[in-house]
Amino acid sequence: MGFDLAFALSSVPTILGAVGTTLFVALVSCVGAAAIGFLFEMVRRVGGVAGLMIGFVIDFIRSTPVLAWLYFLYFVLPFYGIRLGSMTVGVMGLSLYYSGYLAEVFKAGIDAIPKGQPEATRALSLSRRDAVIYVIAPQMLRNIAAPLGNYFVSILKATPYLAVLAVPEMLGRAFDIASETYRYTEPLVVAGLIFLALALAISQGVKRLERRLLAVGTR
Amino acid sequence: MSIQSDSIVDIQGLNKWFGPLHVLKDIDLTVGSGARVVVCGPSGSGKSTLIRCINGLESYQKGTLRLAGTTLGLNARETAAARRQTGMVFQSFNLFPHLTVLSNCTLALRRVAGRSRSEAEDIAMAHLEKVRIPEKAMSYPGQLSGGQQQRVAIARALCLNPRIMLFDEPTSALDPEMIKEVLDVMVALARDGMTMVCVTHEMGFAREVADQVVFMDGGCILDSASARDFFGAAGHPRSRLFLETILKH
Repeated sequence: MGFDLAFALSSVPTILGAVGTTLFVALVSCVGAAAIGFLFEMVRRVGGVAGLMIGFVIDFIRSTPVLAWLYFLYFVLPFYGIRLGSMTVGVMGLSLYYSGYLAEVFKAGIDAIPKGQPEATRALSLSRRDAVIYVIAPQMLRNIAAPLGNYFVSILKATPYLAVLAVPEMLGRAFDIASETYRYTEPLVVAGLIFLALALAISQGVKRLERRLLAVGTR
Repeated sequence: MSIQSDSIVDIQGLNKWFGPLHVLKDIDLTVGSGARVVVCGPSGSGKSTLIRCINGLESYQKGTLRLAGTTLGLNARETAAARRQTGMVFQSFNLFPHLTVLSNCTLALRRVAGRSRSEAEDIAMAHLEKVRIPEKAMSYPGQLSGGQQQRVAIARALCLNPRIMLFDEPTSALDPEMIKEVLDVMVALARDGMTMVCVTHEMGFAREVADQVVFMDGGCILDSASARDFFGAAGHPRSRLFLETILKH
């Protein structure tokens, strides 16, 4: 069974048609994971009972498979009266799952900031919120641009899990073509190449961002 | 006239522990308005901890510390309000590396004092002029020498118009040729009548501007005297020994 280029090209439009869904899911999940992860890390830093609990939640999330989260949100929550669309569940699942990892990335980025920086914000009477927004978060971002970009690529690559919820993302579409025609090679290769192109675009973008962030105030 | 009434800092029986470590022992210190106090002593003597207690960066466990009439540590809001009367300069400058010199100075003016951008920039520029570095307003801290960074840090601390300036070894991280430019700024500040507490080993500076020198060792104030007495023959034997050691090298 050879590689039929004409068939491969004919599958491109259908697969590309799902690129929007894939990118949408990935983008919203990146934003969601970053927001939840940052919130988790902030609560963990404040400490106390809430901090300990969030620490446990982060470890729990990181120790369970992402598929378990998707199944749980999609099939278990309806028993408790919470019925969500498959796209919503997909985005929620990926956001929650990766928030655990991003919380760890944010932690490393904040730990790397010299302790004189938060001290200076206190000496200047900045509120905790202002200190985070104007001093801590920008320096944290600079420290973690590269690993953050890696996780964004990971989130993109995790979008095919949403096939189990019948979200029409790219790999699912490719697989649909395959099962209709019994030709697996071409659609899967096409989907793989599109993922490759997207992932490269993201990491290039992150590299450029990192260069810009590092250029600010170079010592 | 009682010293009590116009004192900015009034410390009585202050004790602090870091875990089992007793770092400040029964400290008494009063800093009157306009006073210039130099705190010196060997490393580990507790002098940095003391100055960090004065603006509430460190808590204390026993005794009282009144700053601008407020006992620190009783009420978070009052403590914060009292801290606003202080400006602090650190050994390692602690400028914000991702912000320009000007933004370093305007951040607290805008977020804490509620000034508009143009008001904040005018105030900041005035203070940058005072520390003789206005031409670097648009530079980033990483592009400046240590001495320039420390002068910016002084300007940043002055922007909120503090009643007292706290200096925690401001020249200890500087190359010798940069120490003078920072000390010159501090001397000028003293001449303007700023109240200051300064932890430093610069005895020349102490001799020139201090009206009180405090010598600490092992968490205690061993000697507290006018600059004349401290550098004269009347000092405490331990502080004389310290002076001889650091003046000899």
